[in-house]
Amino acid sequence: MPIIVNLDVMMAKRKISSGDLAKKIDITPANLSILKTGKAKAIRFSTLEKLCEVLDCQPADILEFQKEDSHADEI
Amino acid sequence: MWNQDKSLNLSILLVRILFVLIIVLALCVPVMANWYDIASPDKTGLIAGSVFWPLSICLYLSAVFGEICLYHLYQLLKNIRNDIIFKSENCRHLRYISWCCILVAIPFGIFGFWRSLGFFVAFAAGFFGIVLRVLKNVFVRAVEIQEENDYTI
Repeated sequence: MPIIVNLDVMMAKRKISSGDLAKKIDITPANLSILKTGKAKAIRFSTLEKLCEVLDCQPADILEFQKEDSHADEI
Repeated sequence: MWNQDKSLNLSILLVRILFVLIIVLALCVPVMANWYDIASPDKTGLIAGSVFWPLSICLYLSAVFGEICLYHLYQLLKNIRNDIIFKSENCRHLRYISWCCILVAIPFGIFGFWRSLGFFVAFAAGFFGIVLRVLKNVFVRAVEIQEENDYTI
């Protein structure tokens, strides 16, 4: 997927553990893991808002758009 | 009071009964084929002559596909009872059931050359198979929506 979730980078910058973050934004550690590993299909604005609030950052710090390599399939 | 669980349990019970019944009927195929060969009033088929062997082969094949179909239906009903509904496993079961119906239609379609009744059975089985195929495609879409919902954080 061309949207990259850089949550682990922000968590490392803010020195916060997964358990703590999950507790603060009120989601289960399992769901946070889905988000961190990039398995998530979508993110709610409310979750993004809480993440930005707790990590003191902008949505762009967490989410990044990367163009897919169009030649990847040909190789 | 009649409820969804009772419907499911009844369906599972009927599938089990039908599973055993098909095995019993498969053992009686020579008798049934012989009886039909003598008693069949329909002599309008394109191929004349005895239908003993065509009908026997047709019924044996149908029994095999029928058992496979019932096995997958049983698994599907069990999953629904366990609240595992919109999962790709159920799509797989529906796909197998649909294929079994279509595969039953083929021997009956061939049997139709001996007795035109075979064409009607083939049409019914084929039609049911195609309807199930559509249902399977709906299920696949539902599984996608369910997964999207599950992975929305």
